[in-house]
Amino acid sequence: MSAGDDAERSDEEERRQVSAQTGWQRLSPRMLLVHPVHELIRELPLLIGGLVLGQATGNQSWTVAVLALTAVVGVGRWFTTSYRIDADPESGQVQLRAGLLHRKVLSVPRNRIRSVQTDARLLHRLLGLAILRVSTGQEARAEHGFELNAVRVDEVPRLRAILLTESRQPAETTTTETSAPAASSAVLARWQPSWLRYAPLSLSGLLTIAAAAGLIYQTGAVGPLQHSRLAESALQASQRVGIAATVAVIAAVLLVASVLLAVLRSLLTYGNLVLSRQADVLHLRHGTLRLREHTYDMSRLRGGTLRQPLLVRVFGGAGLDAVMTGVHGAGESSVLLPPCPRSTAESVLTGLVGDPKVVSGPLRGHGRRAAARRWTRALGVPLLIGAVLMAFALTSVVPLWLWTAWVAVTAWCALLAADRIGALGHRVDSDWLVMRAGSWERRRDCLATAGIIGWTVRQSPFQRRAGVATLVAATAAGTKRYPLIDVPEDQAWAVAAKASPWVAESIWALR
Amino acid sequence: MSPCWFNPSRVGGILDGVNDRDPSPTVVGMVDPAHPPSKRAPLRWAIGGLVPWLVLAAGQAVWIAFDRRLLWLHLVIAVVTVLGAAISLAVVPLWRYRVHRWELGPQAVYTRTGWLVQERRIAPISRVQTVDTYRGPLDRLFGLTNVTVTTASSAGAVHIAALDVAVADHLVAQLTDIAAIGGEDAT
Repeated sequence: MSAGDDAERSDEEERRQVSAQTGWQRLSPRMLLVHPVHELIRELPLLIGGLVLGQATGNQSWTVAVLALTAVVGVGRWFTTSYRIDADPESGQVQLRAGLLHRKVLSVPRNRIRSVQTDARLLHRLLGLAILRVSTGQEARAEHGFELNAVRVDEVPRLRAILLTESRQPAETTTTETSAPAASSAVLARWQPSWLRYAPLSLSGLLTIAAAAGLIYQTGAVGPLQHSRLAESALQASQRVGIAATVAVIAAVLLVASVLLAVLRSLLTYGNLVLSRQADVLHLRHGTLRLREHTYDMSRLRGGTLRQPLLVRVFGGAGLDAVMTGVHGAGESSVLLPPCPRSTAESVLTGLVGDPKVVSGPLRGHGRRAAARRWTRALGVPLLIGAVLMAFALTSVVPLWLWTAWVAVTAWCALLAADRIGALGHRVDSDWLVMRAGSWERRRDCLATAGIIGWTVRQSPFQRRAGVATLVAATAAGTKRYPLIDVPEDQAWAVAAKASPWVAESIWALR
Repeated sequence: MSPCWFNPSRVGGILDGVNDRDPSPTVVGMVDPAHPPSKRAPLRWAIGGLVPWLVLAAGQAVWIAFDRRLLWLHLVIAVVTVLGAAISLAVVPLWRYRVHRWELGPQAVYTRTGWLVQERRIAPISRVQTVDTYRGPLDRLFGLTNVTVTTASSAGAVHIAALDVAVADHLVAQLTDIAAIGGEDAT
């Protein structure tokens, strides 16, 4: 499809006529306000260029021209975007036409829709709008994703009901869960300010600072700053107090800033989180300024992952990820609960899974040989370094602080190994496969065995010698690949057979 | 370990619609799949494995023609190249041929692959999404075909390498016959 800008008017006429027959609909007219603003932000370099040119020539009409152009482009975006939803939920499609110069049509079969999300940034919220995203079983990159930017918030429940109608009972589609999720459905979890205490335990604040520093460095602002009076006075001050004190001060400032940033980020992203369930639809909304909502089809849920990074675990916290088809397994899109008290995460997962033993029941360990492999992997390198240090000590003097550091590192590795051995384990019955592993990033994956569509038993030469194997469960949900490391060789297929009857009944099974 | 959690009065569980299954008898292991790849497979793997080493050797020849200062370095690289070529020519293909096996059962397809790191992989035919064949230039030279059976999981694709064309065609026909492609794929 292609249409020039000059032909837009006649194109418009034609479309209006067509829309009466096929149901092409426009997005909210309020986007006529939002689009120009976004366009201005996007074309900021051009605008600055116009300003500079206006200053130089003494003729500000350049600025006006650029402003007018961006506004026209913004308005044009609204006029060129339309969508339609076929009435038939089985074979119908949802289509989106967009693009000012490059016309594109996105089509999504309605029976492939797995989840619906909405996202409202500040400007959208002020105008009562929300971006609606539809995701399917396929993984879509951002630019190919199907998104309606934007529709009115009060239209969202209706659209969501229509889009997810395939998986829902017809009688339930009329309720408006967006406006009052608490009234019409069971709330599983609600955000508490106390959850913020787990936020500083992540590295997100430090990463934000690093990203900002990289950005500043790239803009070239550092160059002139290097010889400025500010930098020189800072240098003098640091010389006065000494290197150790300077490093300590910088570290303290970084720590405080990263903690503040991490808390702020967590507050902005997950504040006001409400996780609720209405029959077979799971509903998640969160965000203080930018409001996001996810609606998940429970029939696509294949389990959940309890995530307990070391620091969060020490303070009794846990996060919860959904294992679901059509939702990216890693990252923010699969998060059901950010780090929160462990009992909350466990009770929510128990509610979804239905079996408390799956969530918190004891696991079967992987035995002595798996433990031995954890020890060799954790202590191999430190012991090697220790041997090298010894060799040096024979010929020359090794400073004491090096020995201290070596002892500390070795002790740390040993503790990690012990923790990893304690974590490693699995639990399997005909309905659920539970696997737990890791220390720094501990996770307990609970997978519905009905969703497992492939098994791999993998052995490296070392694993063959130790008589253990890595068992990988393949599913269409979550991260797709769920490995269970160092299961005793003779148990690997037993686990697979217990979980999947098609393995037990296959012609290769040895009983 | 019977699933005692199932309670019909509860609304909508993840496994609603999935009936309780009989506990299966304990499986202690799996017999290896029956069929080896084509007799010509080791030859194809040997030549395929040799090509990168030949490229490296050619690069080295050019280098030595222009610069003969670091003779010891040339020697080390030459020894590594010859060893690598010998291993990928003689050891890897035969080892691989001894490991690689495949078999199609009534319900599942099962393979064993690899040489140093070995994998056994099984996928249920009822969940197969696509059956692809691939023939590279070398495969065509030796009359071989690679078959890939994909499921909805990116971690579950079953690769059957270096089959005789006739065997592969028969396998693909059988697979597409049994598999209700387009049916339930667990997404």
